Formats: sequence, structure tokens, C-alpha cells
Amino acid sequence: MGKLLRFNWLMFGAMAVLIALGTVSIWSAGGAREAVFHGLWKSHLASAVAGLAIYFALAFTDYRYTVRIASPFAYGAALVMLVAVLFFGDTFYGGRRWLWFFQPSEVAKLCTIMFLASLVTWNDGDGVRAVKLEESDDADAAEPGGSGKKGFALFALAAAVAGVPALLILAEPDLGTTLALAPAVVVMLVAAGVWRKGLFTALGVAAVAVSLVLGAVWEAERPGQDDEKRAAILRHVPLKPHQVKRVKTFLFPESDPMGAGYNLRQSLIAIGSGGVTGKGLGKGEANRLKYLPPSVSMNDFIFCVYAEETGYIGSLALLALFSALCLCGAWTAWRSRDACGRVLALGITTLIFAHAYINIAMGVGLLPITGLPLPFMSSGRTFLLVAMAGLGLVQSVSIHN
Amino acid sequence: MNSARQNAQDAFRRTGDFTCVAVAALFLAGFAALAVKLRDVQVENVASLAYDAARQSVRRVRVPGERGRILAADGTVLAANRPARTIVVNAEAFQRRTWEATASNILAAVERASAFVGRESRLTADDIRRHIRRNLARPLVAWKDVTDDELARFAENECEMPGLSCTESAERFYPQGSLAAHLVGYVGRDRVEASEGDERMNYVDFEMCGRGGLEDRYDSFLRGVPGERKLTVDARGFACREWTVVEPQKGPDLVLTIDMALQTAAERELAGCKGACVVMDPRDGAVLAMASSPGYDPNDFVPSLPARLWEDLSRDPGKPLLNRATQGTYAPGSTFKPVTAFAGMSAGLSPTAAYDCSGAYRVGRMKIRCSHAWGHWSGRLDLANALKESCNPYFCDFAVRAGTNALITAARASGLGAKTGIDFSVEAAGVVPDDEWKRAHWHERWYPGDLPQMAIGQGMLLVTPLQMARLAGAIGTGYMVRPHLKAGEPPERTSLPFPKWQCDIVRDGLCRVVNAPGGTGWRAGDGVSVKVAGKTGTAEVGTGETRRKNTWFMGYAPAENPTVALAIVVENGETGGSTAAPKAREILKARF
Repeated sequence: MGKLLRFNWLMFGAMAVLIALGTVSIWSAGGAREAVFHGLWKSHLASAVAGLAIYFALAFTDYRYTVRIASPFAYGAALVMLVAVLFFGDTFYGGRRWLWFFQPSEVAKLCTIMFLASLVTWNDGDGVRAVKLEESDDADAAEPGGSGKKGFALFALAAAVAGVPALLILAEPDLGTTLALAPAVVVMLVAAGVWRKGLFTALGVAAVAVSLVLGAVWEAERPGQDDEKRAAILRHVPLKPHQVKRVKTFLFPESDPMGAGYNLRQSLIAIGSGGVTGKGLGKGEANRLKYLPPSVSMNDFIFCVYAEETGYIGSLALLALFSALCLCGAWTAWRSRDACGRVLALGITTLIFAHAYINIAMGVGLLPITGLPLPFMSSGRTFLLVAMAGLGLVQSVSIHN
Repeated sequence: MNSARQNAQDAFRRTGDFTCVAVAALFLAGFAALAVKLRDVQVENVASLAYDAARQSVRRVRVPGERGRILAADGTVLAANRPARTIVVNAEAFQRRTWEATASNILAAVERASAFVGRESRLTADDIRRHIRRNLARPLVAWKDVTDDELARFAENECEMPGLSCTESAERFYPQGSLAAHLVGYVGRDRVEASEGDERMNYVDFEMCGRGGLEDRYDSFLRGVPGERKLTVDARGFACREWTVVEPQKGPDLVLTIDMALQTAAERELAGCKGACVVMDPRDGAVLAMASSPGYDPNDFVPSLPARLWEDLSRDPGKPLLNRATQGTYAPGSTFKPVTAFAGMSAGLSPTAAYDCSGAYRVGRMKIRCSHAWGHWSGRLDLANALKESCNPYFCDFAVRAGTNALITAARASGLGAKTGIDFSVEAAGVVPDDEWKRAHWHERWYPGDLPQMAIGQGMLLVTPLQMARLAGAIGTGYMVRPHLKAGEPPERTSLPFPKWQCDIVRDGLCRVVNAPGGTGWRAGDGVSVKVAGKTGTAEVGTGETRRKNTWFMGYAPAENPTVALAIVVENGETGGSTAAPKAREILKARF
């Protein structure tokens, strides 16, 4: 009974509404495709029901058990699957991402976050017990959760734990999923207080590196650049040709409206033509008329379908729901009495945030287009289950503190 | 211990809380940035993006209004529309991943449907590919002119042929067949890319446009107001939804001045020979009949003329496509003599002075014979009798004494050598030659022999039957009118520049032609209930082997107060009196 009282109903409600909106959008997007896809909204709903089982199971289990005991095994299994998918996976849309019926990369993200949360807080205890181990009063010891040796060694270990699956996912290749994992890992390391100075330095270096890459692509692809110089610059840019193309499209959206810029242009037209009030559910023309690439309209472009049909009002409602979800996650972390719960809640919430933010931002041209599902909305069984499981863990943090 | 524990707890809270708040702020900032950007896209730029959306997915289709009918004065339908049924293929029902697969899918469907319709479609794979390239969003016609049987079989099995449907459109139809064919004209496919207003139409539905005759002349009048439909196309260009924006409006009916009795009579008389006939009301210029022979059936031209038939028509030496009534230029022969009479009288010559015809007129080495080879029995002729007997030497002499300029002036004043201004698509002006014209076209100067030639309507002089009908009427009434075919046009009159006494003398002559014993045109009045006045003509054209005669009759009736004027020319006839005059009589009998 007490558990039900501490259950965060707002977080649960926001998730439920998002799933409902996703179901409607998938119904609309599927209607524009072949008959096989007309019933896809049902399977989305069915996955959500299955997800609820996982959600409640994880929510009412103390996350400490889950994280401390189950996460190493989950992480190991995820690595095995990630390796397996490289050899036995099914290929769709230029990426080897499917193993039988699910995407290991999505599962691996959650497993990595869980294992990382366990790792960076392994000797913190619940933050109260930790003080018993180290009774020093000096400033350096005033690190969150207490005393554990959180220097470069732990950072390197954490980086390896996060880096191995990230590299395996990159090898699929699936840049989007890797990108979404990065902010979660950084936030967890910061929250756990691992090698702070070094971490911030590394972040700075990463920011400079990204700027350099963007600058190089800009210089290489800007209109009027001669081909030789362009090739010379691009040889030093560590991106694949299709990624360079996407970055180029992001930097110069007008350069090729029917080619590489087509998706962005169509996504902008779809979202924009929705106007303030939208065209009505099931009446989105960019979607119905297949101007939005039908192969991805139900997944990575589901926001366009939704925004075209519900307009700015619907978009704001969606942002409000995601904000509610993420703020609930942050609040749960804040309320958590131990570092493990806090790091776990923040990591998972940041992952959800990163997905939502990157997905919508690329739809409106704020970020380069990359394949990334919108949590709870996109049709995709694996990620829906993973996202619900993740929120179940956050709920568990809420309940067990 | 307790305080250390408290300190650690505080530290945990302090830094940890900060991280949580910072991350929460990051979340909020991120979503706020999205909200701002989305406002930009969905509220600020919505107009341009919605326009882009419409531009890439909405197509405009111009739908023609139904063409107005063409009616004779009594309401007889000369041109109308009949429903034409076609079975069409809607390409969007046959989509495949590639265009080639789509094309073969359509072809296969058409072949399957052939069994049901009971007729092979003429569609080829190339037709379908072309359709996919150019008209993808529009229906593709697979079977034209579907009969009731075929339609019934199609309708029975329609559910087995998804993507095929039957549509109905209006097709031009000429219920009277070849009757008044040259006058009414015909229609063809309008190939002009329609562009209306600022934005171009993307598709133009099949539209007829006038190609000849009144269909051409009154094309914009008959067409009506085109409507507009819009359709949305998907990313590949297949049609998705279609709706009407502006309903097309039917064009008004064109009512003509044509009198069906006269028109039928004229065509009957001309049947089997080459020639033309114009009958008009000399009081207001209303054309009552206009016939040209040989003719054609304008129904053959709809919707397009088979190439073989076109070959036949355009190579036919009889030139069936030529409207001889307005485009045919002939030497007027003796029907020109009234003009010579006016010229002489205007030059001060006496119409009563006697002339002794010796049977021929000599100028230089040239000899112009009279039809009475040994001179006229009556011997001495005045003007009225010279007209009656159509004496060539009299008029040669009369014209030579009047002078070249007088004759040319009189001919032009009679409306020759210039277009009549009739509301018809094409009209020839004819030729009234003068020195300048001859130098320009024949590269010769004006010889003295040209004048007597012209005086009897030979030589370089060329007129159209329409001009002669109007001239006949003008002699009868004393004023010229502009001929017209559309009913309800106000009459446009100009008076003849010849005084009434001159007209009276010429009228007297023309009455004698038909009514006096020995008149050349006596056959024209035989059995007609009113008194007819007129003039026959026999123009010799060509030399040697190709020598032939074009025979004329022009006249008006009743002689005292004319209500009908006519001119008829028959190529390769015998004489005007024996060939053209009886035909004129039969035509006049239709009215009197």
C-alpha cells in the first residue's frame, strides 16, 4: 500500500498518454502504407501492454537488487547479443540491427546504464553507510555518496563499460543510438562524481572536436568549393560518406532539396503545414500522400505525422508530456537517498530526454537527420519495451526511497 | 560520528541536488528550445510551408465547358454534342515498385479486361509509358466509343476489374451529316497548352476547338466557361483525391440565319457537280443558304480524322474541303456586265444609244465573239436589251468608251475585289485588276485588250459567289449590306454610289434576262411564283485541253421588292442559262 502511495502517478500518466498518442499516430502513418501496416497500431498497443508488465515488475522490485545483482548479467548478455547481431543480424535500411525480433542495441543501452549505475556507485552504499567507511572531513571527501575512490581509474573503467557497447552499436552502424547514449553516460558520471575535473576537460575536448568536424564539413561542402580541396579535407574527417552527406544537409539544407535534403524538407513541410491547430487525426496529407518517406514515417518521423495532424497545440502538448516525464525523473533522482538510485534515475531520464530531443530537433532541422526513435511514440517493439522498462526502474527509485 | 555522518549526508545532498537541478534545467531548456523552433515552423512560417505542401501535392485540371450547339434559323440542329462513353484505367490502382512494373501491370489488366469488354484495346506498352510520364494522375483511355453491349458486359464484371471505370464525355456530333458542312465546319482536339490566370493548369482535359467554318469563327462564343478541378497527388505522382473547384459552364447556342428549305434545296441542286451557291436576304444581309460542292461529312473529323481519310480529302482534285462559296474565286463572266453598265452610265454614256453588234469585237489582233455569232437579230441594241441578250461587243465597246478607271471604280464600288466582311472563318477577296496589280502579279503592263476582257467578266477578274450574291441583292435594293450568318446581327447598309435611274435601267435589263422572250436566263423564272430578275454568265477558263466553262446565275426575287438574292456557280457547265439558271430556279422555288 505504501508502495502505491509513493508510486509517481504523474510520470506513469504522462507515459500512458504518450503511448496513446503514439498509437494514434502509428494508425495514421500505417494507413498511408500497404495493407500489412494498417494494423500496426494494434501491435504497438500489444507491446505496450507487455511493457506494462515489465514496468510494474521492475517498479515494485527494489532497484537496488536489480542494479546490484542483475545488471552485470544483463550487461554481459547485451554484449553477447551485440556481437551476435554483427554476425547473424538482419539488415534493414542499411544497418545490421535486428536479431530475430528485437534490436540488441536498444536493450544494450538500458543494460549499459544499469551496469554503469552499479559500477560508479559500487562502494557508495546508500550514502549513509558510506560515511561509516570513511570518516574524514576534508573537502575532497565531500564527494557525493561518500568516499569511494572516484578518480581516473574508475572513469577509465566506466568509459570502457560504456564504450564497448557504444562501439559495437556504431559498427552496426547505428550512429543515432550511440549519440543518445552519450549524454546519459556523461550525466551519470557527473552525478556520481567520477573524476570531475578530467570529465569536464574531456567534455570540453569533445565539444571542440565536434566543432572542428562540423567546421571541416562546412568548409569542404560549402558552395563553390573545388572538388580536389573538398576530397582533401574530407579525408581527414572521421565520418562515413552518408554521415557527411547528412551533416552537409544539416548545414546547407537548400543544397539538394530532392536528394539528401528531401527528408528534412518533407519533414519541415509536414510539420509546418499542420499550422496551429493541425489537419485533424488521420488527415495529414504529407503522410497520406507519402511525401514523408513511408519507410520511416512510423518510426523516426512519427513526430512529423503527429505534428502535421495536431498542429502547434499538439506539439506543445507533446513537449509538455515529455517535460513532465523528464522532470519527474529528475525529481525522483533528487529525492533518492542513495547515489545508485540517483545515478540510475538520471541516466535513464537523460536517455529518454536525449531520444525525444534529438528526434524532434532533427525533424525541425536543429540537428542533422539520423535514425532515432521517439520514445513511446515510434513504432518499434524493442525500444518501447526498453523505454518502459527504464521508466519502471525510475518508478522503482521513486517507490523505494 | 553523528556529525560526520550528517556532514557526508549534507555533501551528498549539496552536490547531488545541484546535479539534479542542473539536469532538470537542461531538460527544460531543451524542450523550450524545441517549442520556440516549432513555433517558428508551425506558426510563423506556416503560410510558406503550407504553400510548399500544396504546390507539391495539388494539381489543377482545366475542365472544358460543354460546347454550345449550332442551330439553323428554324431550330434545326446542325451541330450538337452526344455522350461518348469510354473505359478508362486509373493508374493509381496498379502501382508497383518500379514504373516499368507499373506499366506492365496496367497492360496486363487491360488485356484481362479485353475478354470482358469483348474488344481488344488499342493501348500499347508505349502508350502506357507515355501516359505514366505525362498524365499519370489522369485517367488513361483504354476503350473509346463503348457500345451498349460492351458497356453492359463491362458493368457486369466491373468488380473483377478494379482500377477500370467507365466515364462519359461530350463528343461533337453533326446530326445533318454533310449538310451545310462547309458552313458549320468541324472541331478537332485543342492542342494549345491552356494557361489561365497566374498559375498554369497542370492538366487540360480533352477539349474541342473549332477547326473550320463557324465552329472556328465562333469558337470562343461556343466554348463556354471552362471549370476547374483539383486533385492531390502522392509523392510518386499518383492521383489520390479529386474535387471540383469551379463547375464548367455550357457554351451558348449559336443560332444562324440559315433557312433549312433553301439550304437543302441549294445542296440538292449542287449535288454531283462542282460549284457553290449563296442565298441571302438583300435587306439585312442574312445569309439564307450557303452551299459548296463537293462536300464531306464533318462527323469523320471527330474526335480526329483518320489519316487515310485526310489523304483522300486533301488529294481529291474536287477539293471537297474548300468552301467555294466564300473561298472559291471565279471569273464572273457575263454576270459582271451590270457593273460595266454602271461604269458606262457613270462615265456619261447614254444607255439608250443603239449599238450595232456585228457578232464580234476587235481590239488589236484580238477578237471577242458575241454569243450570237452573226450579230443580233434585232440589230441595234440599247443597254437593257444588251443585258438581256448578254451581248459581248456591246459591253466591250461600252467599257472602252467609259475608260479603264471608270470600270475599275465601278467594280470596286460594287463590292468586288474586297472581302465582304461576313462572319466566317475564311474568305477570299477576289481580284479587280488594275495596272499596278498586273505589274505586280503578271509582270506585264496593262494592255488595251485587258479592258474589253474585263468588261465581259473575263481576264484577270476574280470574284466569289458570296460577292456576286451580295451584288445581285444590291442591284435589286439599291444598297449594299454586309452579309452575316449569326442571327440577330444588326444590318449594316451602305448605299450603292449609282443614282436610282441607273439602277432602274439595270434592273429593267435583269428583269428582261429572265422574263422577256429571248432572255438568256428565262429558265430561272419558270414556275417561280414571283417575278425573278437576274443575269446569267458563262466564263471560259483555261486554254486548249483544260478549257472549260464555269456557268453562273445571279439574281434576286421578287423583282420589284427583293427579299432573296442569290448567286450560283457551277464548274464545267454548258452555259449559264442552261446549267446554272434551272438550278437557281429550283432553289428559288423552295421559297416562292
